[in-house]
Amino acid sequence: MTTTASRSTIFRRPKTTTGFWSWITTVDHKKIGIMYGYTAFFFLLVGGLEALLLRIQLAGPEGQFLSQAEYNAMFTMHGTTMVFLVIMPMSAAFMNFLLPLMIGARDVAFPRLNALSYWVFLFGGIFLYSTFLFGTTGAPAGGFLADEVSRLGSAPNAGWFGYAPNTESQYSVGTVLDYWSIGLQIIGLASLLSSVNLITTIFNLRAKGMRLLRMPVFAWMSLVVNFLLAFSLPIIAVALWMITFDRQFGSQFFQAANGGDPILWQHLFWLFGHPEVYILVLPAMGIVSEVLPVFSRKPLFGYAAVVFAGAAIGFLGFGVWAHHMFSSGIGTVAQAAFGLSTMTIAIPTGIKIFNWLGTMWMGRLRFTTPMLFAIGFVAMFTIGGLSGVTHSVVPADWQQTDTYYVVAHFHYVLFGGAIFGIFAGLYYWFPKLTGRMYSEKLGKLHFWLMFIGFNLTFAPMHWLGLQGMVRRTWQYAADTNLGPWNMVVTIGAFVIATSILVFMWNWVVSRRRGVQAGIDPWDARTLEWTIPSPPPQYNFAEIPTVTSLDDFWHRKYTEDDEERPVRREGADALVAELEHTGRHPDRPIHLPAPSYFPIAVGLSLPLVGYGIVYHGEVWGLALLVVGLLATVTSFIGWAQEPSEPEPFGEEG
Amino acid sequence: MSGEAQTTAHHHPTPRQYVQIAVLLGALTGIEVALYYTEPTLGKLVTPALLLLAAIKFGLVVGYYMHLKYEKRLLTGFFGAGFLLAGMIYAVVLVTFLIVPRFG
Amino acid sequence: MADLAHELGHHDEHEGLGVDNRKLAMWVFLASEFMFFGAFISTYLLFKGREGLTPPIPRDLYDIPFTSVSSFVLLMSSLTMVLAHNALSRKDQPATRSWLLATAMLGMVFIGGQVFEFSTFVQEGMTMRTNAAASGFYLLTGFHGTHVVIGIIMLLSLYGISRRQDGLSEAKGLNLELVGLYWHFVDIIWIVIFTVVYLIP
Repeated sequence: MTTTASRSTIFRRPKTTTGFWSWITTVDHKKIGIMYGYTAFFFLLVGGLEALLLRIQLAGPEGQFLSQAEYNAMFTMHGTTMVFLVIMPMSAAFMNFLLPLMIGARDVAFPRLNALSYWVFLFGGIFLYSTFLFGTTGAPAGGFLADEVSRLGSAPNAGWFGYAPNTESQYSVGTVLDYWSIGLQIIGLASLLSSVNLITTIFNLRAKGMRLLRMPVFAWMSLVVNFLLAFSLPIIAVALWMITFDRQFGSQFFQAANGGDPILWQHLFWLFGHPEVYILVLPAMGIVSEVLPVFSRKPLFGYAAVVFAGAAIGFLGFGVWAHHMFSSGIGTVAQAAFGLSTMTIAIPTGIKIFNWLGTMWMGRLRFTTPMLFAIGFVAMFTIGGLSGVTHSVVPADWQQTDTYYVVAHFHYVLFGGAIFGIFAGLYYWFPKLTGRMYSEKLGKLHFWLMFIGFNLTFAPMHWLGLQGMVRRTWQYAADTNLGPWNMVVTIGAFVIATSILVFMWNWVVSRRRGVQAGIDPWDARTLEWTIPSPPPQYNFAEIPTVTSLDDFWHRKYTEDDEERPVRREGADALVAELEHTGRHPDRPIHLPAPSYFPIAVGLSLPLVGYGIVYHGEVWGLALLVVGLLATVTSFIGWAQEPSEPEPFGEEG
Repeated sequence: MSGEAQTTAHHHPTPRQYVQIAVLLGALTGIEVALYYTEPTLGKLVTPALLLLAAIKFGLVVGYYMHLKYEKRLLTGFFGAGFLLAGMIYAVVLVTFLIVPRFG
Repeated sequence: MADLAHELGHHDEHEGLGVDNRKLAMWVFLASEFMFFGAFISTYLLFKGREGLTPPIPRDLYDIPFTSVSSFVLLMSSLTMVLAHNALSRKDQPATRSWLLATAMLGMVFIGGQVFEFSTFVQEGMTMRTNAAASGFYLLTGFHGTHVVIGIIMLLSLYGISRRQDGLSEAKGLNLELVGLYWHFVDIIWIVIFTVVYLIP
């Protein structure tokens, strides 16, 4: 059914389910997840390119490849991009695509709100990146930067953490930091809306029998992450409003001369920033908790412990933020308190690591690509976690702060952790998404290249940092002797880049020519493997009833006296039957109808953003007014659109 | 005004009770303002007293107007969690500023 | 709209919390708003007593009797809001509309009071640029006021829908309850602000 909505009747509800317009107006969680995934991957390439530029500059001492202004812009945008435009939306891609499938639902609780989150993210990201086209920056009077800053340098340049008062308008002239503060505000809103949506979905849309403690671990981690998002994003929203008002309207929040306090920025930023890093890594931990059991042919060791440890990490994550401020003069009492709280987070994290190891122990391991990445996660994240523990010792942290040791730490947990976990998930669910298998050879090549490249890049940063190589600095002097290892790091970065090309090639080729995968190519455990690949629009022909954790596995397998799995006689027939009935529902299924309003609202927010940046000009003010009006009218139109689902396929 | 009106199975206060709560809210506000003006005499006691009055008003609106008293406990859990988390976190932030040693 | 999960899949039962989706979402959202307003309130508390602030500081300019009346108005708007909800539960559509309008109008009076208060302060020499405490005051009460304005828009929308569709249906009735929750929340934030920002020494 491919009716296109006619252009002259923009107020009529669109109906199409295929073609370009179906993506623009979709409210289907799977399509939204796919859009998140491709967009996030695109930004991965951009953020990776920014990293390569940094590494070319730092390959040798006193590099001249980038100017100082360009360097500052590149490291800022690299961090901002990877955190907000890659890992968060990639996690959103997984959560969107998988959660309804894993809990036995047809969609999320608020499908149009879901679409809105995607469009707000996309256009917020574009708004942020438009800084390269429109942003201005330059030296404050008497500063040392060149007067003319190239386009490459015309981007936010105060770090992803944007410390005040550096970000105040007297020190950061021009508009690049307005693109940063307003762009992040818009992007953050997307995640906040999504968090409320997914919390409601997980709590209220589970299939019969799918009690909370029977949900896949990925679903549990998603629940924790969405609570973290809901409670931490408002804090950075406040901080961003404060710096926006300081820059645009002259408020004094971080201006020490008039009662303001730059340390307030640090508190507000890190109150968000620390839960944020758990937001970044918990979904990947959820993915690993799904992959390891399947390829160990063993249930997850200590399901309840893994779930509660995840919740504990989330909760404790709100109590450690000032460990990012140990060298900011917060005083010994605060340092001791936060040092202790930081150490305690290692406990639930350690529980998870031991449980993952316990899952693999005595399992019948299959070293597929997702399994390699999952094992890689466990190893690399442990290394990163250990360097994190060294940070929790305050005097040691004073040595490590602002050196490459910290860069090593967070790349081990965010790349070796989150990104490895994401790749594990991309390979694991590739057959479900596309109906085909990827090339295992290319997958393994990707893994080993990436594993080697990653360690070549980030391991040396530990000792480079301890030898005194300073962060966020565009050059290092020749007599520091930091050159040789920096060259190794740069080579490693290019090895990583090569591995990504291998991944992309595998993805593109396998989508077209990969071997057909059935509904359950991995002999897996969870509900998403009980429906056709790719899933039909309605997900389940009939919503299943669940009787246990890993219900699907238990329908295929029983256990012998030594608790080893024994395949039931009817297992193959069961899978074949699921494949067949999955494609042929026996009655009409009601699905939420597509809508124009999410993209309409998504488009109007950046208009408001540009209006705030350029409100000093008449046309800027006009943009602001138009943007606000567009937002309000879109919402009113949305509110009037009925939200009842319509019959799938229009047969009624 | 009629008696019990029930949109769901829960109990709802009557309109009369809602008005009584409103009168109470107004009275509490009046006491707060009066306390404000007696601050010179009462000194340090004023702050805890004002906070207590505010807390009572808060509780009345949340419990009765927002109906939380009659809703599933879980909603109180979520709402309370947000409130407590905010309270704890920002209290720590403010304390951190208070206890910073000041040198010279 | 009835629970999406009920619409889909005909008679499939499902697990849930027993709370309507949109209601659950609203409560979670309101809980998150504590983090938002808490940040502004604590920022104000941090700055209000600092040394070296360029005068005037907010404390110097407060007109407590005026603000007390404003606060009372907002409190009464919570009463009218809950009476609107009650009227709808009795299917009394005209009364519902009246109470909705009353709530919106009381909200507008409150906003009017805020605007008057702000412009008085500006005339007396305190803008958000004057000092950090003033910045904190203006943004805290300004964002609160913005929330009130959004609430007024939602109230008037409900009023308009009720007029056009001859009353609010069962489904739309939940919307009224949700707007009510939002409105009461904005009121309790003001309860905190009035005490902590204006009254406490």
